[in-house]
Amino acid sequence: MPRRLLKHSGILLKIIFFTSVFIIIVIGGFAYKQISGLTDSTNVLITTYRINVELEQVTSYLKDAEIGHRNYIVTKDNQYLEPYFNARENVNNSFAILKELTKQNEKQKQNLTELNQLTDKLLTNFSETYDFVENDSTKSEGFKTLFFEEKIIMDSLKKKVAEMIRLEEVLLKERQKEYRDNVKFTPLFFYLVILTTIVLIIIAYFKIINDFTRIKKFNEELLIFKESTSQSEIISKQGNWIWHSEANSFTYSDNLYRLLGEEPQSFNPTINNFLKFVHPEDLDMFKEDLGNMMKDKDLPFINYRIIQKNGNIKHFKTYGKSFYGSDGQKKVLGITTDVTNEIENLITLEERNLELERNNKELSEFNYVASHDLQEPLRKIQTFISRLEEKEAESFSNKGFQYLERIKTAADRMRSLIDDLLQFSRTNKPDKAFVFSDLNELLENAKQDVAETILDKKATITSDVLPSIQAIPFQIQQLFLNLLSNSLKYSREGVSPIITITYSKVKLDDDQRFKDITKIYYHKIVFTDNGIGFEQKYANKIFDLFSRLHNKSNYSGTGVGLAICKKITDNHNGFILAEGKLNQGAVFTVYLPAN
Amino acid sequence: MLADDDEDDRLFFTDAFEELKMNTKVRTFNDGVELMDYLNTEDVILPNVLFLDLNMPKKNGIVCLKEMKSNQKLSDIAIAIYSTSASEEDIEETFVLGANIYIKKPNDFNKLKKVLSDVVSINWQYHTNGLNKDNFLLRI
Repeated sequence: MPRRLLKHSGILLKIIFFTSVFIIIVIGGFAYKQISGLTDSTNVLITTYRINVELEQVTSYLKDAEIGHRNYIVTKDNQYLEPYFNARENVNNSFAILKELTKQNEKQKQNLTELNQLTDKLLTNFSETYDFVENDSTKSEGFKTLFFEEKIIMDSLKKKVAEMIRLEEVLLKERQKEYRDNVKFTPLFFYLVILTTIVLIIIAYFKIINDFTRIKKFNEELLIFKESTSQSEIISKQGNWIWHSEANSFTYSDNLYRLLGEEPQSFNPTINNFLKFVHPEDLDMFKEDLGNMMKDKDLPFINYRIIQKNGNIKHFKTYGKSFYGSDGQKKVLGITTDVTNEIENLITLEERNLELERNNKELSEFNYVASHDLQEPLRKIQTFISRLEEKEAESFSNKGFQYLERIKTAADRMRSLIDDLLQFSRTNKPDKAFVFSDLNELLENAKQDVAETILDKKATITSDVLPSIQAIPFQIQQLFLNLLSNSLKYSREGVSPIITITYSKVKLDDDQRFKDITKIYYHKIVFTDNGIGFEQKYANKIFDLFSRLHNKSNYSGTGVGLAICKKITDNHNGFILAEGKLNQGAVFTVYLPAN
Repeated sequence: MLADDDEDDRLFFTDAFEELKMNTKVRTFNDGVELMDYLNTEDVILPNVLFLDLNMPKKNGIVCLKEMKSNQKLSDIAIAIYSTSASEEDIEETFVLGANIYIKKPNDFNKLKKVLSDVVSINWQYHTNGLNKDNFLLRI
């Protein structure tokens, strides 16, 4: 984002710069043209004045010549002829100047030629009158005629000069107007040009200030980012390094040095200096990985150990990814993490896991073997009792026979304890496969197992249609069997047991009674009986192993059956709850996860 | 014929047959090695039914069963597994190895007598044809 903004800003500045340069060049051209136009106007003005001056001069020379000529006629003194003789030369000089000044103007050129002719005529007229003066025939008709002609020529001359001056005045007026026009627009034009340039400079100035502020902000952010990276490297025990592929050189971050147990930037970040830290056993592998990285410009996750100077061994994990730097060079950016703690924790955890597994297995084996091996002597005791009962009964006294019966009862009880324990330890084994099972069928099998008791006690069992679910079939059957036998066993004296099994699919996600709910929907199967029930305060206790609520001489339970039920629902990631009302009945609710 | 390392069990076994008063000859062995040595003698008279305990020292019932089933001369003997335990694994394994019936040792002498008389009077030819995992374990 900042980079793009700056890039755009660069383009804008370029546009402003080149526009300014262009405008200034154009302005320069205009200014040059304006000034040279002004100079031209001035030159024309000067020319006009000079022409007027020269023309006055010519008139003056000719007047001097005329006056000199008249004085000579009156006095016959030759000295008065001086201006006349000079007139010719002076007039010629003036004409030469005038010719040069009027060469641009055809009309004046023509006027000048006419003026020249008139002058020639006048001077010729003068020289013709000399003869009359020499001969004293000034009273003659010829002289009078010449004298009169002289006046006429002089008048024409004066008229011509006046005409020329008038023409120049007209020209001068035109030029003055032109000059005024030029002069009128020039300041405005310059003013506008300067104004435009100032506006452009101001835009550029603000743009630069704006960019500068932004760059400052980005620099600030970059600084914060750098600092936070450095901090997070320390906290996460990470260091980074860059391999510049073309220069084949490395740079290390400060924390990489710390991970090696060194002061930041305390040695040259070369390969050989790093290899000094690598554990000798991992060195070959590390060198190979490094070689591959230089070849492939990539480094997959590698694990190795290093030895710090103080002898501590650390586990490192390194990963590298190639990228192109702003100089277009290919580089590999690597992250090295100190994973010593993780690895040590993992090892401890693995050890503990193994130990736990071993303990668990031993416990389970002990349980199984104990109950299994206990069966054999017990079976013999029972068989011998049956032999005694049958063969030796008559040789016992009454008391002896009673004792025998007591032994028999105790042995039977031990038998059921061992059987239940065996059942319980088998339920422990978690390696049973889940298969798609019809719960109706499993319930039916369980009912078959207690068919005799159902008949004896005249029990009624009603059940809803149950679903088919993923389950360990023999365990679910065991669960149903245990719940049924439990209800049948704890029936009220003289009341036929009625067991109702209902089913519904429920949502448990907001139910506070359950922890570790893994699914949203659960199959809820409820076993309700009309037996002796129990006090609600024992509801949780009855699922504990060997826990019994009733005297064993009245009810023959071992306290294992419901513990097995709990274990089975646990194995299925389900729950079992008990509710009881003394002398009214018990409700057992089983929740099994629905897919 | 019975192979069982337990003296008491051998006693119950012979007593039961005595009381059954069936016309049977009973021979017992103390362990698997003794049993196999006998079966491997030249002119041995093979039994109708062999009751085989699984948990025996030296050579256990499973090994004996394997040896008999791999020996053509002995492979036709009807074998009744006769064990204290009735674990799923044992039942499964002996069934797969080719035993004919699995008996869990009863804890009542009268039941023992009934089981033995039932087993001895089984028509093995017929029983083996209809054998499956469900009727392999003899229900008492």
